[in-house]
Amino acid sequence: MNEELAKTLNRCMQCGTCIGSCFSGRVTALNTRKILMGYIAKGIPVESHDALWFCVTCYACQERCPRGIPITDIILEARNELARRKGLPGRLKNAFSYLEKHSAFVPGKEKNMKMRKELDLPVYHSQFDERARKEVSEIVSKYLKEVIG
Amino acid sequence: MKFFPGCMIHNRYPGIEKSLYFVFENLGIEISPLNGSSCCPAPSITKSVSHDMWLEIGKRNIELAENDTIMTACNGCFTSLFEVSKKTGTGDVRHVAEFLYFDVGIEKIKRSITKRLPLRLAIHYGCHFFRPGEYKKFTSQERPRVLDELVRAIGSESVDYRYKMMCCGGGGGVRAGATEVSQDLLEIKLEAISQEEVDAIVVICPLCLNQFDNGQKELENSRNENYNIPVVHYIQLLAVAMGMDPELTGIQWHSISSTDLIEKLIKGEMVEE
Repeated sequence: MNEELAKTLNRCMQCGTCIGSCFSGRVTALNTRKILMGYIAKGIPVESHDALWFCVTCYACQERCPRGIPITDIILEARNELARRKGLPGRLKNAFSYLEKHSAFVPGKEKNMKMRKELDLPVYHSQFDERARKEVSEIVSKYLKEVIG
Repeated sequence: MKFFPGCMIHNRYPGIEKSLYFVFENLGIEISPLNGSSCCPAPSITKSVSHDMWLEIGKRNIELAENDTIMTACNGCFTSLFEVSKKTGTGDVRHVAEFLYFDVGIEKIKRSITKRLPLRLAIHYGCHFFRPGEYKKFTSQERPRVLDELVRAIGSESVDYRYKMMCCGGGGGVRAGATEVSQDLLEIKLEAISQEEVDAIVVICPLCLNQFDNGQKELENSRNENYNIPVVHYIQLLAVAMGMDPELTGIQWHSISSTDLIEKLIKGEMVEE
């Protein structure tokens, strides 16, 4: 984990504003306050909690943290390490293969292009422009290999 | 100006783009497609894997505009491109909702519409429109009002409801990575909205639109729940209020279709000269 970000965790005073603001925390095992306590008291790395994938990244906790800890940014950073170790959950792996292949997390299909035609709109996303698509694909491949092989 | 569609608008909701061009033409603002632009890339899901990948793809998209203003109509695209532009000191990135509010102005919007739409609407901002405040300095991070005022400008009512500022459950890769969780959150949100008997849910992000609209179909299949609340992007409503044929907004292609809403959109309420 980025050292500068990790250092900010030590500012936590366990007030619980983060978990009190967390909607995902209401319906899942994601408990930001406990994750921070584990880190401060026992040195348990933030990136050892699979529940980090339940964060919708609404930034309510980060926005309200009275100690200014960039909690959501830390969760995103910690997910890098989780992905490296255990791979991506659910359909997220497919999503990245789409991004690599089509330069789009949500690739367009024939029926979608028919809708564009009906509305008299041009087709110009990089997915449909060979040179642009390749440019983006290469960027994705470069980093993806590093993280999830 | 250049319009940046992102994957969701280009590949799923082209009616949002059609509506935006209609509105901008009506306002006398020149805008054309940002050719060769790719996925923004989606902020949280991409950063979850690699911050540098996010930065490099975002930069490529910004450079394509050659310093022309980039207009977005998606909270994800807006967040990625806006943050990258602030971090790199290049490009001028806007979200259509804040652009309409701050640059066009409520008074001009009121003068530009040909019919009012007397609808009861449940507004959903979408988290990444107003957070994090580190970048989104143009609005309150607790009580944004941009969209409430935009909705009133076209003669609609912004109905208050419980959990108005809560996430739709679609963000952060949760919809694809943890579908159950995503549905649990959507259920809480829809349950609250369904108490208020609204004509539609209004969003300013196609990802939220997808989550609310297709999500309702998914809840019907997996949990046998029927909310049947139509979902629209604000720009689609504004285009109709400015005189566009509702069929050109593409709302008939949304999962939850409502002849009731379409009739109300066609009819509207005439604005006296």
